Formats: sequence, C-alpha cells, structure tokens
Amino acid sequence: MKQKSGSIGPVFRSLMGDEKRQKITIPLLAILLSLLAGAIVFLLLGKNPLTGYVSFLRGSGLVPKANYAAHKNMFTDFMSFVNAWTPMLFASLAVAVAMRSGLFNIGVSGQMLLAGLAATLTVGYSGLPAAVAKPLVLIICAVTGALVASLIGFLKYKWNISEVVSSIMLNYIIRYWVSFCVKLPGISDPKTRQSMPINPNARLSLMDTEIFGLKIDIPLGIILALAAVFLIRFLFDKMRLGFEFRAIGANPKAAKYAGINVGRNLVASMAISGALAGLAGATYFLGYVGSIQPDTLISTGFDAIAVCVLGNSTPLGILLSSFFISVIDKGSTYMSSSVGVRQEIGALIKGLILLFSACGAYFSYLIERSRQKALESAGVTQSGKEEERV
Amino acid sequence: MANPEYIVEMRHITKRFPGIVANDDISLGIKKGEIFALLGENGAGKSTLMSMLFGMYEPDEGEIWVRGRKEVISSPNHATRLNIGMVHQHFKLVSNYTIAENIILGIEPKKMAGLFPVVDIKGTNEKVAALSKQYGLEVDPTAKIENVNVSTQQRVEILKMLYRKAEILIFDEPTAVLTPQEIDFLLQIIRGLRDQGKTIILITHKLEEIKQVADRCAILNRGKLIDVLDVAATSTQTMANLMVGREVDFVVEKSPAHFGPEVLKVEHLTVKNSDGFPVVKDISFSIRAGEIFAIAGVSGNGQTEIADAVTGLLPAAEGSITLDGADITRSSIRERSDLGISAYRSGEEAGLSYIPEDRQAVGLVLDFTLADNLALKNYYKPPFCEKGILNHAAFDSYGEKLIQEYDVRSGQGIHTITRSMSGGNQQKAIIAREIELSSKLMIFVQPTRGLDIGAIENIHRQILAERDKGRAILLISLELDEIMGLADTIGVIFSGEMQKIAPAETLTTNEVGQFMMGVKQA
Amino acid sequence: MMMDTLHTLIVETLPFALPLFIMAIGGIYSERSGVTNLAVEGLQGFGAFMGAFAAVLVVKKFMFFAPDSQMPMYIALLFAFLGGMLFATIHSVLCVKFKANQVISGVVINILATALTGFLTSQLNESIFGAASSQFKLIPSARFSVPLLSQIPILGAFFTNVYPFEVIIIVVALSAWYVLYKTPFGMHLRACGDNPHAVDAAGVDVGRVRFLAVMLSGGLSGLGGICFAYSLSVQFSPSIYMGYGYLAIAALIFGNWQILPTLGSCLIFGFARAAGYNLPLIYDMPVAFKDLFMILPYVVTLLLLVFFSKSNRAPRALGEIYDKGKR
Repeated sequence: MKQKSGSIGPVFRSLMGDEKRQKITIPLLAILLSLLAGAIVFLLLGKNPLTGYVSFLRGSGLVPKANYAAHKNMFTDFMSFVNAWTPMLFASLAVAVAMRSGLFNIGVSGQMLLAGLAATLTVGYSGLPAAVAKPLVLIICAVTGALVASLIGFLKYKWNISEVVSSIMLNYIIRYWVSFCVKLPGISDPKTRQSMPINPNARLSLMDTEIFGLKIDIPLGIILALAAVFLIRFLFDKMRLGFEFRAIGANPKAAKYAGINVGRNLVASMAISGALAGLAGATYFLGYVGSIQPDTLISTGFDAIAVCVLGNSTPLGILLSSFFISVIDKGSTYMSSSVGVRQEIGALIKGLILLFSACGAYFSYLIERSRQKALESAGVTQSGKEEERV
Repeated sequence: MANPEYIVEMRHITKRFPGIVANDDISLGIKKGEIFALLGENGAGKSTLMSMLFGMYEPDEGEIWVRGRKEVISSPNHATRLNIGMVHQHFKLVSNYTIAENIILGIEPKKMAGLFPVVDIKGTNEKVAALSKQYGLEVDPTAKIENVNVSTQQRVEILKMLYRKAEILIFDEPTAVLTPQEIDFLLQIIRGLRDQGKTIILITHKLEEIKQVADRCAILNRGKLIDVLDVAATSTQTMANLMVGREVDFVVEKSPAHFGPEVLKVEHLTVKNSDGFPVVKDISFSIRAGEIFAIAGVSGNGQTEIADAVTGLLPAAEGSITLDGADITRSSIRERSDLGISAYRSGEEAGLSYIPEDRQAVGLVLDFTLADNLALKNYYKPPFCEKGILNHAAFDSYGEKLIQEYDVRSGQGIHTITRSMSGGNQQKAIIAREIELSSKLMIFVQPTRGLDIGAIENIHRQILAERDKGRAILLISLELDEIMGLADTIGVIFSGEMQKIAPAETLTTNEVGQFMMGVKQA
Repeated sequence: MMMDTLHTLIVETLPFALPLFIMAIGGIYSERSGVTNLAVEGLQGFGAFMGAFAAVLVVKKFMFFAPDSQMPMYIALLFAFLGGMLFATIHSVLCVKFKANQVISGVVINILATALTGFLTSQLNESIFGAASSQFKLIPSARFSVPLLSQIPILGAFFTNVYPFEVIIIVVALSAWYVLYKTPFGMHLRACGDNPHAVDAAGVDVGRVRFLAVMLSGGLSGLGGICFAYSLSVQFSPSIYMGYGYLAIAALIFGNWQILPTLGSCLIFGFARAAGYNLPLIYDMPVAFKDLFMILPYVVTLLLLVFFSKSNRAPRALGEIYDKGKR
C-alpha cells in the first residue's frame, strides 16, 4: 500500500511540476478529467467518444467536414465560431479584471443585457450609417456596462455590500427591466417574441457576407477582443493601475497602508470590468444574435466565471480557455446531428469542465500534500537511520 | 513504569514539522496540584508541546502518561475525557451566542419540551451561574460574547474547561491580551484553582508572571528542554539567561543624543474607533530630530491608534498633527509618506516611514514578489513608474540593492513570493523599505514582535543608527525592556490618555510600570 | 372589487411564497453554517427534475396508480428532497472537502444542473418513455379549501385553493426551525457560521456539520423546486430555471438569515409577484407590466442593504474556508 502511493506520487508530482508550472498543468488536468467523464457519457450512449470530440472541432471549423452546403466551407464554419467566441472572450476578461482586484463580478450577464438593450434602443433601430452606428454601439455598451459595474463597486466601497449580492440583485433588476422593454409594442417582434431585429448598419457582425462565393459571418468585434486581451495583459503587467488593482486584490489593508486609494481603485476596476462586459453584450446582442430575447439572463456571464478560473485569471490563459469552451458550445450542434446524440451533451461536457476547473485548489492541495508526505517519509527514514547508528 | 509523583509525564517527546524540529526529545513531569510554567521565547516549542498533551497533534516519537497510564491522545475530545482542558491564546468563542451557550457547545444538556427534545438553556444558565460563583469567575450567563470584554471572554474559556470537569488546565499565553489589573486578577484566579486541587500548566514568555505564581518552571529553547527549575529558588536573571541560551544584555549600547529641531508635533489628538468611542483622548507630544520617543503601555490602550492617526490610516477626530512644520491632520496616507519618497531621488529628508505592528496583514502584500514589496511605497514614482507605465528593471535593481544592503534572505532573491519567506526576513524587508525612504519621521510599532534574539538586537541597532542619523523616531512597544533600552523620551499611555512624558533617564522601569497601570498620577 | 382583488392576490401569493420560503430556509441552513450557497437555483432545479422523473416513472412505466391519483405527487416531493440532497453533495464536497471557492462552486453547479437536467430529461424521455420531449408532464395537483375558515373575509384567502404541498412545506419549515434553533445540531450549525474554530475546539467536526448543512440545504431547495413545478407549470422542463433560486437568496438576506423574518420577506415577494401577474389582467394593462412588479423584490433588498447595512448582518464566517491548521 505504502509502496504503491510511493510509486505514483513522484510521477504525479513531476508531471504537475512546481507552483509556476501548475498554473498550466492544473487546468489541463481539469480538462482531461472532464473529457474523460464526457467520454464515459458517449460510451454509455454507445458512441465513439473520439468521433464525438472530433465533430465538436468540425462544427467549429477547426477540422474539415465530409461535405458542406452551398457557399459554406471550413472557413465559414470557423468564422461563425469566432462570432460566438467573441462575447465569451470579452465576458471572461471582464470577470478576470475584477477577480484580479479581489472582486467577483457575477453580474456580467446583467451588464451585458443592459448594455445590449441600451444600444439596441438608441442605435439599433436608428437609420445611422454604419460608420457612425457601429462605433456608437460599442461606446454605448461599454459605458452602460461600466456604469452598472461601478455602481456595484461603489456599493461595496461605500456600504460594504458584498459585490456578489448586489450583482445578483442587479442581474435580476436588469433582467426584468429588459423583459419589460423588449415586450413593449413596437419593440417586440410578434413572430419571434424577441426584440425586432436591429438595423444591419448597427450590427457588429456582418452576417452572410458574400466573399469569393462564400457566405461568411464576419465578426468585427473579434479584433477588438483580441486587442483587449493584450491591453488587459499590459494593464496588469506593466501599468501602475494594474499594480494597484493587484495590490487591493491581494491585500487591501496593505494596499491602504501603502497609500493606495482602495475605494477609488475598487470602483475603477469594476468600471473596466463592466466596460468589457458591455462589449461582451455588444458583440453578443448586436453581433452574434442580432436581437434580445425577453425573460432570459444568458449564461455567458456565469460561464465566464469558470472560464476565467480555468484560464487562471490571466488574459492569455483566458484566450485559450474561452476558445476551448466556445468550441464545445458552438460545435455541439454539428456534433449532435453527425454523431446522433442530443445536443445537450455539449452543455453537459462544458458543465463538467467548469466543475473540474473549480477543483483547482484541491488539485494543488493534493500535490502539496503528496510532496509533504514525501518529505515526511524522507525525514522518518533519516531519523530511522540515525537510530540504527546509535 | 509510571512515576507516581506525576499526574502528567511526557517522555522523550519529539515533534517535527516540515523543515523544523519543534520539540526535540523532551521529557518532563508535572505534579498534581502545582502551577507548572513553560518558559521560552516565541518559537521555542512551548505551544507545540502542550498541543500534543491536548490532542491537537500527535508526537512523532515519545510517550505521554496521564495519571500513571500511557495514553495516545488522539483528539481534544480525548483530552477532555482525560480531564485536560486548554485556554488557547486566541479565544475560541461564538460571538453571537450567550456565555452559557458557549460553555455547553458540544456537550449540550437536553430536556423535553412536550414531545421534542430541546437544548436546555435555562438549566444551563443556572449551572453556569453556580459554577462561576464556586470559582470566583464572575460572568452573566445570558450575556452575548460580542458584548463582553476580553477578560470576561477569558473567564468564559476557563469556565468552559471547568464545566467539562477539567483537572489539568493549560493556559497558553493568557496575559498577552490583558491589562495589568486584569493580569493580577487572572493570576489570583489561577492560584485559587490550584488551591482547589487543579493542576495548572502556564505557557508564557513573561518572567514576572512565573515569579508571581508558578511553583516550578521548565525552560525551552529552540525545541529543546534546557532545565526544570524550582521558581522560588531561582532568580529572574538566571531564568532569562537560560531562556535565551546565553547572557542577556538588558542594556543596549547607546551614544548620547543630539536633538535637532522639532519634527512631529501632535496636539490634543483624539481618535475614535469604529463604534465612535474615543480610544485616544486629547494627547499631545512632540518629537525632535535625533530623538527616540517611545510610547509605553499595555496592549489595547490606544498606542497603535496614535500611530495609525499620524500615518493617516485612521482619521483624527480632534486635534492636529504637524509634520516638519506642515499641518498633515487632513492629508491622505500617500501625501504624508509621499514627502519622504521624493527623497529617493533628491536625497532630501521629509515625510514619514511606518513599520506597522502586523507585518503580514498590513506591512506586506504576501502574494507579491519581494521586489514588488520592496517598492511598495515608491512604485508610482520615477524611475519605477513614468506616465502610468511601470519600469520593472528599476524594481529589480532597487530590490537587489536593498536585499544586499539589509541582508534580506530568501529562496529566489527578489523574485521570491514574499509569503514563502521567514518572519524575520519579512520584517527585514519592511525595515529595509522604510529606512530607504529616508524619512524625517520613522514610526516603529512592535518592531521585534515574534523575532528571535539575534534579529531583535539587529533591529535595535538599526533604530539607534537611524536616530543617530538625525531622524525623529516614534517607537511603540509592549516590551518595557525594549523601551527602557532605546528611548530618549518616554510617554506612558493608559486607557487612551497620556499619563506621563519624561526623559528616559528620569524614569525607572518600576515607575513606568506603575504609570502603565494608571496607578501613579503625575 | 377591491376586496375580490385582494382575495385573489392572497390566494395566489402562497403557492409562490411558500416554495420560495422553503428554498430560502435551505439557503439559511447552508449560509448559517458558513457556506455561501449560490447553488440554490441549480439545486431546486435538480430536485424538481428528480421529483418529476420519479412521478412520471411510477405513473407511466410502472402504472402503479390510478390516472387521477395524487400519490405520485407525494412521491415526487420525497424524491425532489432526495435529489436536491444528492446534487448538493457536489457543493459539499467542493466547498468542504476540496476547499474550493464557494461562489465559483455555486455558479458552476448551477451551470451543470441546467445542462444535466436538460440532457437527462430528453434522454430519459426517449429511452424510457419512447417520447421525444424535453419535459416531464405532471398530473395537476388538486387544491382544497378549508371549510369554514375559508369563509372568513380576507383571512379566509389563506385557506382557499390550497395546494397540499403548502401544508407539507409548513410542517417541514417548522421542523427546520426546530432543528436550527432548538437542537444541538442546530446550535453547532449556527456556531460554524460564526466561529468554526470554537466548534472545533468544542470537539465537534466542523466539516461534518457543514457537509450535512449543505445537503439539507439541497434537500429543502429540491422540495421548493418541485413545488414550483406543480404550482407554476405542472411540468418539469428547463424553464424551471427562472432565477427563483436567486430570489430565495434575496429573501433570506432580506430576512437577515433568520427563519421567521425570511417568511415575511417571502410573503412580500410572493405578493409582489401575484400583484404583477394579476393586476395587469384585472385592470387590463399590457402583460409586460408584470416584469415591473418582479423588479420590486430585488430593488427593496438592495435598498435594505444600503440603508440598514449595520443591522443586516451576514454570518461572520460566511464564505470562509475552514482550515484546521490556521488560527
């Protein structure tokens, strides 16, 4: 028994590496475990897991399909995947900025929704030319998101109200308010029961654009999202503001002692987080979807929390983890039809990945314990030797 | 075979933690009905040893015998069954429960309310009242913990043990949080408990307390048992020497003072706590360049609040604070220390430095690298930061310079995560950072708390060197020896009021002690 | 007119307020033990799923009961409780054993619950009942009016058109109150949320208490979920995730983490909802106005936190991971 744990332990420890390497290996372990769990589901349904997983990739335009409809190919699939990925990337960055500053922004979904509504009502139905409408949509969404989120930060700073609690309240206040607005006559589309489709001029994704005989969705927002990844990275690595955010996140008392204005930074961090959430809303409601559905709080904002954890709250990590989750999300439709299983399996596998990603602390605890045990047993044998000598 | 003389016997106890041997082959016996003291510095292994008797850890080697039987004490519950009780240094009480509820927690008596069994609170109240009368530990069983003071909370902890019929009572540093009167009262209670036949084990690093109550005393140093002594027959000096492991020099070498102009002036300062209750009341004092002004007092009498008010962490409710001629009463924390940081470039002296009491919770961001922490007070100034952009090369070179000059040791140099450093090196890092600010005023609060003797001497030398460079120094300490050894001027605080301010050489330790207790009115 | 309206509103309040109340009690159990529970939403959904599945199974597969029998509903209630407990084990394991962040764990469990129940409902419908459907249809619950009492003006509304589950909830809520405030276990539970070190020092296993508390929390949430399924939609489908789990959290915060005041907040929230659904119908307003009424509970909770932040106190150790070694 002791022998066995002794033989597995070192391999496990060396695979997982030191604390720095664990930042990469632990999320990978989480993904591996969840893919294994997903494989069991596939097997239970009598399907080949490998085919299942490859068809997720096919559905996202990362691996070619056997055949394509007219005007479609792998590239068009990939572009429509990117269209779905963009809001997820923004939303996860939004969570990360707050989290690095010690705050949980679980209000991203609400901030996205209100931003989407604000831009839809002001610009979405206007006849503004595209060159004016699109930037305006971005600005309105970023500002709306920033305002909502800074309110959350302000409530925490001023009255010490947990940002988790106020986020939940605001999520639902926004959800019902948006539902009310979207159901009003003139805005509600009687056929779809969603808001009327917005003017293509205001839409951030150019849908079904014909280029070289292909019909491509061109998500303009992705350029901005990728830029945001590097801006946020720059913010935390190189900027004074990011240094202060990290300080209040790691130890607010020490930050105050060092002369950092904790309240102002808290609100500023939430404002940036909210602006990113607003952009997530812009690229979701005025990009990917093109309308707003009443009575729903989309899951993106909540998924983003786990995606952020999976990506270790670092911009580059999030770039990868959000990409990965979006592949599962977006590829599930094709996976379902080609493998012949329910589409919900995609959501299930995503849920499992997110679940395992929440266990990261436990994995590092296991590694640490295994290391301590190794140390202890080494110590015991040493003293044992000493006794022998005596 | 058991030695019939002892109620508790620990034989060849060894306990290791990763990287340290906390107890190294310790053997000692405790007699029934005595007050047995465990004396040693922080980290000497006293608490670890007693934690094993209380079942919180199991020894790696050795045996524990209780009442002539060998026992493997696997949990605190097991210890309780052996009639062993412990009052921890940090009280373990539920703040929104009543005193009686806290006492019965875990062994609740039940009664029937109609068909259903319920916890018998009323019966408990009566029992607790009777118990507190029996041992002279006055408490109101129905009062909530959050509404009673620290000394009452300690009495609740003692009652908790007695309610569980403890015969062997372990006290872990029980006087650390008490005022002098409360200490006297506690020691009286401890004597009373012994007279009622209880066996007392007192963990402490305070020699006077041992002298006052203990019958015998075991001295530990770096995990080893040095000696077991009869207290009545041993001098305090001998105990001190044994505790530290060498001759203790109570006197620090100090050159004569050369006072310059006034640097800090505090007038009629009043500071209130979060409940709006004044904890510093109408205090005035001033510190000159080249002067060490030390505030003596028992913990919790308002001295840390003075430091926080001067540095801006707490607002001054009334009064004014003048630093180097400038009124800083309403200035932000940064504005106050900022003055000092410009000195890094210009070489001038201004502003203030602050070595806070709690180095881990306040003085450092433990998850930051050492380099980041060393620049924590200057990160926003050139060359560290220009136009909002950080210059990591400046952080690195500054950090390298400081760890060289101040001998800060860590695993991976300036890139070490500060959390993984030893307490002594963490404190060195803070002191390096703050001295390097070249401030006119330096505030040290408990700068040597929890450090070993070598580190303490080093810090004392640094404080004196800064004074000789002409800085004004405000030293706040709970260690009277430290104050008597370093101070040029001593202010004694009691209950938020300054009892006495006088040149150090005009006061004796005894007098300061009396002022600290609010006894001697000037 | 006025009286009739009030009567209708009260009658409609309870079938919503009481399930919400029992879910909020679930939240109280978890949070008073020191474990933040944002998973109430997912727990109620999974509980409702299990309950509905059990009910459909006994009716369609095993054909145990007459078509109009009410027995399946009681089976559903039992299984919803068990299902909620089962699913809450994940939160227990993650928060207590794995020392994961409690907020993240809660969020993730909600995501997983939606995905899992959505998948299982379709899959089970297909493989067991041979039907392509994403919902379990339930047999509507009978409602009864208490003779005499229901005739009392206004107050009688509380005894009119009562669902049997309302009675069960009241009994369960009373037991939950008794356990929390009067038994040793309840004392340990509440102490864990204030100072787990004290509980540990008193020889009680903090991890065990919290583990059980979270599981009970799941059971109570599951019970609330299936009651919603019976009263709101008479079916189980992913539409059960309407955010009422989060409303329960708002209710327990409004109730200051105490059972009796939380009943008050649930009644207020339930009344606001009943007003939102009924007033537009009665006064011929656009249906969208019900959404405005639904905003109220969240706004008042937020305002309460702003204006009474001093007297509204979360358990002191809430969200704190208990590590025996640390002091």
